[in-house]
Amino acid sequence: MVSDEIVLQIEGLSKVYRSLFAPAGTKAVDSLTLGVRRGETYSIVGPNGSGKTTTLKIVLGLIFPTSGKVNIFGSDVADLAVRERVGFLPEDAYLYDVFTGEELLDFYAGLFGYSRRRRKELVDELLSLVGMQANRRVPFQECSKGMRQRLALAQALVNDPELLILDEPTSGLDPAGRHQMTELIYELKRRGKTILLCSHFLAEVEEVCDRVGIMYRGRLVAEGTLTELAGDPTEIVITASGMSPEGASRVAAHSAVLGVEGDVVRMGHESSDRLWSVLDAVREAGGRVAEVHRPRPTLQDVFVRAIRQDAPERDAGEEVH
Amino acid sequence: MGQLAFGIGLLVAIVVLAITHRLWAPAMGHGGASTWRIAKITVAEARRRRVVQAVVVLVLLILLSMTVFSYLNPREQARMIISGGLSAITVFGILLAIFVAAFLIPQELETRTVYAVLSKPVRRFEFVLGKYLGALIILAAIMTIMTVVLVAVLLVMDHFVPDLTYSTFEPNLANVVFAAVMSYFAVAVLSAYIVLISTVSSTAMTVIASFIIWAIGSLQSQIHDLAAGAETVSTKWFFTMFYWLVPPLENFDFRHEVSNFMQVSYKAGIDAAGVGILYIIVVLLVASVFFNDRQV
Repeated sequence: MVSDEIVLQIEGLSKVYRSLFAPAGTKAVDSLTLGVRRGETYSIVGPNGSGKTTTLKIVLGLIFPTSGKVNIFGSDVADLAVRERVGFLPEDAYLYDVFTGEELLDFYAGLFGYSRRRRKELVDELLSLVGMQANRRVPFQECSKGMRQRLALAQALVNDPELLILDEPTSGLDPAGRHQMTELIYELKRRGKTILLCSHFLAEVEEVCDRVGIMYRGRLVAEGTLTELAGDPTEIVITASGMSPEGASRVAAHSAVLGVEGDVVRMGHESSDRLWSVLDAVREAGGRVAEVHRPRPTLQDVFVRAIRQDAPERDAGEEVH
Repeated sequence: MGQLAFGIGLLVAIVVLAITHRLWAPAMGHGGASTWRIAKITVAEARRRRVVQAVVVLVLLILLSMTVFSYLNPREQARMIISGGLSAITVFGILLAIFVAAFLIPQELETRTVYAVLSKPVRRFEFVLGKYLGALIILAAIMTIMTVVLVAVLLVMDHFVPDLTYSTFEPNLANVVFAAVMSYFAVAVLSAYIVLISTVSSTAMTVIASFIIWAIGSLQSQIHDLAAGAETVSTKWFFTMFYWLVPPLENFDFRHEVSNFMQVSYKAGIDAAGVGILYIIVVLLVASVFFNDRQV
């Protein structure tokens, strides 16, 4: 259940990386402002190098902003008490690789000051949740990528966090692993966790997120629910087989039709009152109508459109999947 | 005395710096518990990687090999075993300190395991302290094993080597243990410096800098002499600064006195240990301040 309470507030956040060779620096994050509400799943999407991970690292206090501020649960991110209520899944599951799953979870639970008994209970609960009970004594370095990612998620959950920050949770996973991870994120969402997810896998984002922020070159170029971002359908698509070439030409000449490509007839959404007329034309051309639908733009379409608007000189869709 | 006053002054300055740097603020994490957990996992990780065990086995072989040589007389034989044994403990202790401590923090940053730790309620000060404490435990365990083997070798040799009228085998055990403990203090001080360097540089740079500090720290009296004999103010200032900044490692070296059956000043050892502890506190505070500001 999403409430209006903002649990994570980022205001005017900028991060410039400077070095001896580049004193002017590289702007990784540029005047970023966003808020994540309690109970929602918010995803920051963007191509590699768009500033997503830098933003997460600032949110976690791992690096420091050049300007701007981050508040979690109303407190400054530097406040250690905040981290009692936050869980973090780092990209590529960086955990101590010589230890087994249960040893790792015991260690991370210990950092929250839990007693030995509580740690044991937690380890059992979390290993069950992520489906790693059977492999609890397998060293991390011998785990598959999917198992590592699930263990990394488990360590992010040792403190039963209210806010969960996931950096590329399905990166490098095969389709089965990706499905398992998406199911786990669903489960956490059902349990009422607020989730900030960073990803460039748009399909998974589309599946689990309530709101999306699109980052490009360090800036937030679009933000909203998928429906808000996608907007209304712009076309009606009719799929019909069996049209003769001459018939297809006649259909294409219809004033409501935008174009015909093989078995697919596209007409403008604004001409929907003339749908029956177009369907008649298709039938007269010998076509058998199989499907009529109004496709809504996918997140991929929205993403590419937002980035092209922001930087029309570059083809921005190449780094997302 | 001057060195002690300098250490106390520096400690006060660093404490002020640490407070103004919000080293303890904001609110406490889980204090000693987190530090101890980090120290324990550091030790466990070193045990699992088995590199340390390999070095220990090598040193033990060196210590045991000393028993097979025969010498002119029992006293000379004891002298050679003590000298060789203490040298092996010191040199391998220092080398292990460099290769254990130099990797502690840079490796966490390079493998990014630090992300999952520092995103928990762990202060960076606790992290640095935990890693250092872990290194101290590892080095203490190794140097204890080496010392026990050296003592065992001396006891066995004392039992089997026949005394002559003009020469007896003297195991000099108390002083041998004392010298080994002082070597451990040297290793502890050097490890603190290595941790400090590793908070601001890469592993490779840390290793190189550690060897330089070891070399300079072992020649501290020469640096003092150079400062005293300097002809220009700038040269004097340069050498004096060096003298105070590098760890006084040679103060912990009692190998010569012990292996030559000379009078050993325990008071000098206690004084050196006191100054060493001060150096460790100051250096770790500086390391924590640096790591607190580091982008990980």
